[in-house]
Amino acid sequence: MEVYLPVAELSVNWAMILSMGAAVGFLSGMFGVGGGFLMTPLLVFYGIPPGIAVATQASHITASSLSGALAQWRRQGVDAKMGLMLLAGGLVGSAGGVYVFRILQELGQIELVVTGSYVLLLGSIGGLMLNESIRAMRAARTGAGPAPAKGGQHSWIHGLPFKVRFRRSKLYISIIPPLILGALVGVLTAIMGVGGGFVMVPAMIYLLRMPTNVVIGTSQFQILFVTAATTVLHATSDQTVDIVLAFLLVVGGVVGVQLGVRVGSQLRGEQLRALLAILVVAVALRLLIGLVTTPNDIYSIVAGTP
Amino acid sequence: MRTRVIFAIMLSVLFAGGAAKADDLVAGLSTDLIQITSNFTGTDIVLFGAIEPTEDAGPAKDQDLVVVIRGPQVDMTVRRKARILGIWVNRVQTVLTGMPGYYFLASTRPLDDIASLATQQRFRLGTANLESGALGGMKPDETAAFRAAAIRERKREHLYWESPTGIEFLSRTLFRARIAVPASVPPGEYRAEVYLFQNGTVASAQSSPLFIDKSGFERRVYNYAYQASFAYGFAAVLMAFAFGWVGFVLFRER
Repeated sequence: MEVYLPVAELSVNWAMILSMGAAVGFLSGMFGVGGGFLMTPLLVFYGIPPGIAVATQASHITASSLSGALAQWRRQGVDAKMGLMLLAGGLVGSAGGVYVFRILQELGQIELVVTGSYVLLLGSIGGLMLNESIRAMRAARTGAGPAPAKGGQHSWIHGLPFKVRFRRSKLYISIIPPLILGALVGVLTAIMGVGGGFVMVPAMIYLLRMPTNVVIGTSQFQILFVTAATTVLHATSDQTVDIVLAFLLVVGGVVGVQLGVRVGSQLRGEQLRALLAILVVAVALRLLIGLVTTPNDIYSIVAGTP
Repeated sequence: MRTRVIFAIMLSVLFAGGAAKADDLVAGLSTDLIQITSNFTGTDIVLFGAIEPTEDAGPAKDQDLVVVIRGPQVDMTVRRKARILGIWVNRVQTVLTGMPGYYFLASTRPLDDIASLATQQRFRLGTANLESGALGGMKPDETAAFRAAAIRERKREHLYWESPTGIEFLSRTLFRARIAVPASVPPGEYRAEVYLFQNGTVASAQSSPLFIDKSGFERRVYNYAYQASFAYGFAAVLMAFAFGWVGFVLFRER
């Protein structure tokens, strides 16, 4: 059951890693998030060095996102035009993020910044989503109509120039918000080692006001390319991609993601968002506890020089 | 590496002359090459040997044995956390250089009962006496705290091991020590050293090499990752694409 990871230089239980890939892939397919925010802590908890965990699990997200995006494409759930806008911003953002990452790494504060941003981002986004979805579910139960129509609302976003029509999303908005959103998520990708779906999905729903049915596919479409770029970047700059570990995660992931897409399509939008919100808040709480509780050993050791 | 060569020379010079009077020490490892294969989960090796009394060895002495396995030298970054505004933050860091990547020590009795502290330090016996430097201007006692923390962590990982009763005598002269090698052991050149102590001083010593190396597939993957890293990263992405597509095709609703 054990298999040796040649780059990580340790052995792992392959059935365990396969199931971790499948479980995270399932959630990924269900919610349209890459699952990096779950996979990284899981792998580190299992004993994989954090650098290897962050870089290697990007392949898992690539594979899950490709299967997911293809499945969504068939049900017309991908706004490729919007995806490309987000991607363009994303590549710029991740280049900047890599730079920040290197500085933080030299200062020895990367761990704190990563965990801190997880807590802040996951906590606030999860809280917002939970609040919104509970209200939506309550409204649906009491028989009241859905939340105020989105079409009539004209926020500051609609005043921006360079408007483009996104037909799949039924939107006519400026390209600036998608570019900025993509860039912000790109920074997160580089620093936090996540695809950024958990930021992207709510932002697309609440900021860009895209319809829920194209949000997941478009997010997966964009994540697919960002994580592919990240994998190559990590492989060349710090040799932290373990292809054997990636293989196990990918195989588990592609099975999980398909099942997740199937289950996800059975659930209603607000139920899906409530479940994702609970998951996100739980991860944030778990990480917060880790930050404030006294560690077993106040010293930590990393192989090599920073 | 260099210090180890000097050390070996020092040993041989020390004992070439004295060996005639002392008992002879013969020791060997059950293997001198550990291959890391895909199902490698760590392994046990055995160091066995015998003390052969010489004719003019005189009356029975207070004899002790110490077995040490030292791994390749590595650098480690050690950080210490402090609580700031309720959150645990890395505050101080140092880099320890020349620490062994693996260190195993077994003896017949606790080290302090066998030899003086000076002797222990001279032969670098015990994790408390490891040779290592530290980068960055830190006070010696501070550095010692960081080194102790690193040793503590390595012991938790079973990469450092001290067993004061780890040498087993099979007869009056025949002995063996079982050495546990965990899966996370760093590949490289190791040395197995055996010391025979008589009345608190080293009477005889022997040193032999041990190689830990990745076997075919594992080594190729590792080499690709470092020497052809762009192609390696690209291959990882292609693999992800291939499986992602296969997953989609297999599970497609018909």
